[in-house]
Amino acid sequence: MTVLTNVFVKTLRDQRKALVGWSVGLAVLVVLEAALWPTVRNMGDLREFIANYPEAIRELFKIDEFASGIGFLNGELYSLLLPILFLVYGIGRGAKAIAGEEEAGTLEVLLTTRVSPTSLVLHRAAALTVAVGCLGVVLFVAVVLCSPVFGLDITAGDALTGSLAVVLLGVEFGWLALAVSAVSGRHVVAIAVSSALAVAAYLLYAAGGLVSVLEPWRGISPFHQALAEGPLGAGLPVVYLWMPAAAAVFVLAALPVFERRDITVH
Amino acid sequence: MSPVIHTEGLTKRYHDRPALSGLDLDVQAGTLFGYLGPNGAGKTTTIRLLAGLIRPTAGYASVLGADVVRERETAQRRIGYLPGDFVAYPDLTAAEYLRYMANLRGGVDASATRQLAKRLDLDLDHVIGAMSHGNRQKVGIVQALQHDPELLILDEPTQGLDPLVQREFLAMLREARSAGRTVFLCSHVLSEVEAVADTVGILRQGHLVEVASVAGLKAKALRRLDIMFESAPPIDTLRSVPGVTEVVANGSGVQVLVAGSMAALLAAAAPFRIASLVTHEPDLEEIFLTYYGEQG
Repeated sequence: MTVLTNVFVKTLRDQRKALVGWSVGLAVLVVLEAALWPTVRNMGDLREFIANYPEAIRELFKIDEFASGIGFLNGELYSLLLPILFLVYGIGRGAKAIAGEEEAGTLEVLLTTRVSPTSLVLHRAAALTVAVGCLGVVLFVAVVLCSPVFGLDITAGDALTGSLAVVLLGVEFGWLALAVSAVSGRHVVAIAVSSALAVAAYLLYAAGGLVSVLEPWRGISPFHQALAEGPLGAGLPVVYLWMPAAAAVFVLAALPVFERRDITVH
Repeated sequence: MSPVIHTEGLTKRYHDRPALSGLDLDVQAGTLFGYLGPNGAGKTTTIRLLAGLIRPTAGYASVLGADVVRERETAQRRIGYLPGDFVAYPDLTAAEYLRYMANLRGGVDASATRQLAKRLDLDLDHVIGAMSHGNRQKVGIVQALQHDPELLILDEPTQGLDPLVQREFLAMLREARSAGRTVFLCSHVLSEVEAVADTVGILRQGHLVEVASVAGLKAKALRRLDIMFESAPPIDTLRSVPGVTEVVANGSGVQVLVAGSMAALLAAAAPFRIASLVTHEPDLEEIFLTYYGEQG
């Protein structure tokens, strides 16, 4: 019997199956992608092939760097697919964090215990961070193990910044979804708002490289903060700090609203 | 002694639609208060205000001396709450769920949980999602009672329970009252409230229309008598007795409805040689309907 001592433990316990599934999926994804590297590296006309891509695409997916293992994984996994996966996990869990229980009807009794709305949100936020962090660790381990096997030449330090970048992205949008979930009490609203903002942020990052008017604003996009320097081999850029800072602002803004609003019955 | 529940002008509106209007209520310690009203009268709104789950639009409420808005956590710590639609986590066993709730509350004796479950005939090892509605309701009851709270706030607690378990549960409420606990029992099932409550409040369309002791309500209620006479019944004489609202003749018998005391009626009927007399105990159902009749 699982001993559920608090909301944090219960939240992680509820995600245990999902975490196992996602971990296996991530590891398989990394192995399959890394296994392509020896073939890609040995393509004689790779540079000619790359030169045919439009410049904007070359820049966005860092295709010019495909000649190295780091550049290859950055372009193939870290510039779009992994951010999306971490966002899906973060937003999905964040959106359900409060509204899921409220819609199911279990929130009422929970909030009449010593659990206050604020402590509930904080427990959920901590559990979400740990869960997304676990996926980051799995990603890190998979990349570090694949590197010598397939000759990717990626150091542990490179892999660390890569994992950190996608974890911070997942946590930032996960906490945003959690904040909307706490304020609105509806998980669909939380998913819609956070996904829309994530798409907007990605478009700003992508279009900022093409449209000179948007270029100065690129820096406010979490995708730019997370991905512009790599993220594999980025070497811990200071701009990473914007992501946890923004995440904290979302949650702190939601707390007073959730403390005061009515808990709904569905 | 200050009341366990105290409200002043407690009001809740949803988008200008009043759900509860100006509730002034005091519930004293050690009483079992029955809160009655049809569905939609505002019972659940009152209960959720007292439990600190929604905020009043106007007015004030305190539970055990703590303001339910400004000292919400203090108030919640001392209550046991069973919502009208109790839902627990379907993937947990009853034991896991109750342990979780106990951990979140703190200071719960695990043997108390087992004892409550045993009395209600609840198997703690079953997964809640696979339970019948009645068994899930038992989980909710144990959840509300296991920390021995000073005030129990229960919304339609007996729904789904079979009669034997219902009886056991009502006995548990009486014991809680004997131990000095206060029970706020919300129901539209009148018979159960009548059986255990000391005082009842009747709510109608968001307004509290009556607060009275069960005995007092019965005294005011319409009482039905069947009187058989040895000769023809004196219908006109009976009709003229104060308090009599209806007289229906049935051969040599009559059926009389009388409000309050029967003394005047019996004095008027006695000279006419009564063969037999049957009085029916008024139940709250009739009283309830009387209120609706008056107000509707």
